[in-house]
Amino acid sequence: MGGVGAATPIAPLRLKQLQAVGIFSGFAAGAWLGAAEAPTKVVTLGISPVTISLVMVLGVFLARWSLPALIRGTANLGLDVRRAPHLVVWALIAGCLWAVANTLTIFAIRDIGLSIAFPLWNTNSLLGILWGALLFNELRGAGRVRRLGVVGGAIVMFGGAVLLALASPTQAPGGDAVRGIAAALGAGALWGTMYIPYRKAYLTGMNPLSFVTFFTIGELAMMAGLAFAYLGGPAGTWTELGRARDVLFWLLLGGFVWVVGDLFQQYAAKYVGIGRGIPLSNTNQLWGLLWGILVFGELAGSSHGVYAQVVGGSIVMALGAAAIALSTAPGAEHLRWQDAARREAARYGVDLDYVAARLSGLDPDARRGRTARDWLIVAAATAVFVLFLAGAQAPQLEIDYAWAVGLTLAMLGLLGGCGVALWRVTRFG
Amino acid sequence: MPDPQHTPGPPPRWWRAMLGDIQFWIPLAVLVGGLLLLRWVA
Repeated sequence: MGGVGAATPIAPLRLKQLQAVGIFSGFAAGAWLGAAEAPTKVVTLGISPVTISLVMVLGVFLARWSLPALIRGTANLGLDVRRAPHLVVWALIAGCLWAVANTLTIFAIRDIGLSIAFPLWNTNSLLGILWGALLFNELRGAGRVRRLGVVGGAIVMFGGAVLLALASPTQAPGGDAVRGIAAALGAGALWGTMYIPYRKAYLTGMNPLSFVTFFTIGELAMMAGLAFAYLGGPAGTWTELGRARDVLFWLLLGGFVWVVGDLFQQYAAKYVGIGRGIPLSNTNQLWGLLWGILVFGELAGSSHGVYAQVVGGSIVMALGAAAIALSTAPGAEHLRWQDAARREAARYGVDLDYVAARLSGLDPDARRGRTARDWLIVAAATAVFVLFLAGAQAPQLEIDYAWAVGLTLAMLGLLGGCGVALWRVTRFG
Repeated sequence: MPDPQHTPGPPPRWWRAMLGDIQFWIPLAVLVGGLLLLRWVA
């Protein structure tokens, strides 16, 4: 184990690269997370919110095992677990938090609509900043201007969210507004707190691709428990799944798309911290709006005033995100992160050199290449998707396919660009 | 057949460290709160 001396500053150029790739990951996460909410529109077709959440989680489970197997190989999982076994428990808790939050969001969408529910649960960024500063030394040593950029940017984003919420009476689908708002805010609290395990994992050196594979076990177990509780046990759950069979593929796909966004979010949390990473990935609200308005015609028939509120709120949110993106962590703040990492290493008995290397985006003991098991996992996940695709029917919704293709191409562009940047700078470390 | 002489060893160090870590209890408390909220909303 390395000594417990003073933290060594990371080279300025390296820090700049890591910060840039973290900011880029935050924006890419926003695009993919925003698109993932689109399939939940089928909730208006009379399918139980719990069923929708369960199927999305099944898609998430498939993606969380197959994508890391494809990108890095599962051989590295064992290495990470041996280094920091406690993080498996943290990942399971985070997965449970995600499952409950996701189910709450679907109730929120049912009651107050996607455009309004989004900004409410995206208040998780304010909570993330609080946890980041309180527990992990984020924004310490950042200087007044950068601190103002992050906190002010998040508050401005929240202001934009409020503007969007003001449009709620004219577009709520007619559900119970109080319960809908409580569900959305509750989801925000759960998701905001879920980043405590995220940050803890990355300060202690776990690779994001390892963390998510354990995370998803907690996620699936919690979601299965919720489904059995709310749908009348395994038999009731099976019946509900049968009723939703025509749209199962789209929900699985929603879960898959969500995982791509979440992987970028994990890298953002690792390289710029949760105080900056969460608000940036919360630009998913803007993408969600684009999908809602352009593809699903969500605001069709609304007054100009409603459009002005939505567009104005979105611009304000984007300005807040820009302020955060420009307030990257300087060397002095990174040293405080290292202090937090060393505290974690000391508490849990993790090798300090390993922690320091991973915090710098290095992965010296990683095994490269895929095994037969990895390809088997990828093939099995692909087969499940193909199987459900074969039985899928297009949802009976008004969809503007030209805009859907355009937004998908934009997302793929971000996927390629950010994926290449992550590979060059960190080798997906 | 379990060995009658066998006594379970102490829990691993990381387990004890985790239970004594306030950051472990915060997400757990929020999770319980979320489950209660879900029960009300659903």
